Amino acid sequence: MTREVQSVILLLVGGALLRISAGDVFMRYVKESMRPWLLISGVLLVLAGVFVLVDVLRAARRGQVPDDDPAVVDVDEHAADQSHEHGHHGPRSAWLLVLPVAAIFLVAPPALGAFTAGREASSVAQPADSQAPPLPPGNPVTVMLADYAARAVWDDGRTLKGRTVDMTGFVTPNPAGGWWLTRLQLTCCAADAIPTKIHPVGGPESLPANTWVKVVGEWVPGGGTQSDTAIPWVKVNSWTKVDEPRNPYE
Amino acid sequence: MSTTDTSSRTKSRGWRFGPLEALTVALIALLIGQRWISGLFENPALQAGATIFVSIVVQAMPFLVLGVVLSAAIAAFVPTSFWTRALPKRESLAVPVAGVAGVVLPGCECASVPVAGSLMSRGVAPAAALAFLLSAPAINPVVLVSTWVAFPGNPMMAVARFVASLITSVIMGWLWMRFGRTEWLRIPSRDHLTGRSSWETFRLTATHDFLHAGGFLVIGGLTAAVLNVAVPPSVIDSLAGHALFSVLVLALLAVVLCICSEADAFVAASLTQFSLTARLAFLVVGPMVDIKLVALQAGVFGRRFASRFAPTTFVVAVIVSIVIGWWLL
Repeated sequence: MTREVQSVILLLVGGALLRISAGDVFMRYVKESMRPWLLISGVLLVLAGVFVLVDVLRAARRGQVPDDDPAVVDVDEHAADQSHEHGHHGPRSAWLLVLPVAAIFLVAPPALGAFTAGREASSVAQPADSQAPPLPPGNPVTVMLADYAARAVWDDGRTLKGRTVDMTGFVTPNPAGGWWLTRLQLTCCAADAIPTKIHPVGGPESLPANTWVKVVGEWVPGGGTQSDTAIPWVKVNSWTKVDEPRNPYE
Repeated sequence: MSTTDTSSRTKSRGWRFGPLEALTVALIALLIGQRWISGLFENPALQAGATIFVSIVVQAMPFLVLGVVLSAAIAAFVPTSFWTRALPKRESLAVPVAGVAGVVLPGCECASVPVAGSLMSRGVAPAAALAFLLSAPAINPVVLVSTWVAFPGNPMMAVARFVASLITSVIMGWLWMRFGRTEWLRIPSRDHLTGRSSWETFRLTATHDFLHAGGFLVIGGLTAAVLNVAVPPSVIDSLAGHALFSVLVLALLAVVLCICSEADAFVAASLTQFSLTARLAFLVVGPMVDIKLVALQAGVFGRRFASRFAPTTFVVAVIVSIVIGWWLL
């Protein structure tokens, strides 16, 4: 890999990181707290690319063929010569960095949705504290799906009784008919997404997969308790189609 | 170099279809084919795979950049002679000290191979340099912090990784001291960093390490994405079910995936079907034995060395992971 190509690849990767973290797109892939780190690494990579480019241009002005300039040959080229992992002028593996850049700019993969949620069992983590604190005031009160499910499954819906809740999620078709209100939870990145599914009672019969809906409803017993694969129920009072939230995960 | 010579070289370069031209053509082709490519990704499985691939790479990038910057700073600004002075004269003592010293070289395994080579050429006992080679990519703060971040529910994972990696590298150092033969090992004689300013060394090391490791990160992300989408959860669950077998499966996966130690914790965290001990083996084996690393070792230290050292390290790392996982996790 020549120095020119190294420069272009550094600029592309840095540019791609800056492109997704300048807006909200990066939240399809990682947690919101990663934004500053993505911006910093993007800037550093672009700077590195510019430095290499300056090297190349300077060498060209001096009349040297830049990738033959002994001052810019790779640091461990001695090692590289004897290893098929490296090309003569730098790591050949770096070509692969074009793939994520192409994926980001050309495919722009959407946030994970019904496909991922459908193939994995719903997961309701058992809270460390079995006595859930009361819901915040408000009627209806906005809750996360994971919070609702934990209260319904591990605390017998005690804190949900007599309250109206408001939840936003996407539609995952239930293979047995109907659909689940779903949201995916991230620990680090989309590779570890875990779904929370809630069974709506009295809502529309079916909706297209990945439709984002906001459901206002009440807790009703059903779907099992004390199990991390239980799918709790919610009685739907009203529902509306909504846009995908800024952060598609919980 | 005379002017005519220069112009003729420049001109002849202009006619060559080089890598830069290849990259340009590839990028233009991708741009033209964009509709077709994004059309391909309407299939939900492919789409999910692409999302997972991008997210693994994006999540790992800041850690990779941080590690590469730190390791280049140390390569450039800490004189190699420092290591020689810091290590005890007795070899059997120097091995654990060098193993612990791995804490201060934040870098991935690709960076530690040349560093260990230059330590040897500066007179550090090979056994000690090898302990350092194995421990540095696994127990440095960047790797431990990313392990800690990747396993929010299991803070013991980072501790277990530290302990198991350190023990494995010290055992390997002592094994080399006892059974290793000088003729197996080719000690690199050239110091690649002499004659360059610190800033230049820093920049070249950082850029090179990033490009090199980044490429392997892409391979790891692709493999993980394909496994994630293509393999039905039931198959992985059945592989993950057997206690001992699952440890071997993930240890072999670590060898094949070649994920940089700064990023592997996130991949391990996503392998939720497997036991914590199996994932610990993944994290301990990965930075010490993987396909790209064995190739790198063969390049720097010779094939006779790598063919003996890598399989032994694999066995020791798996055994130590099982013991430590059983004890701590």
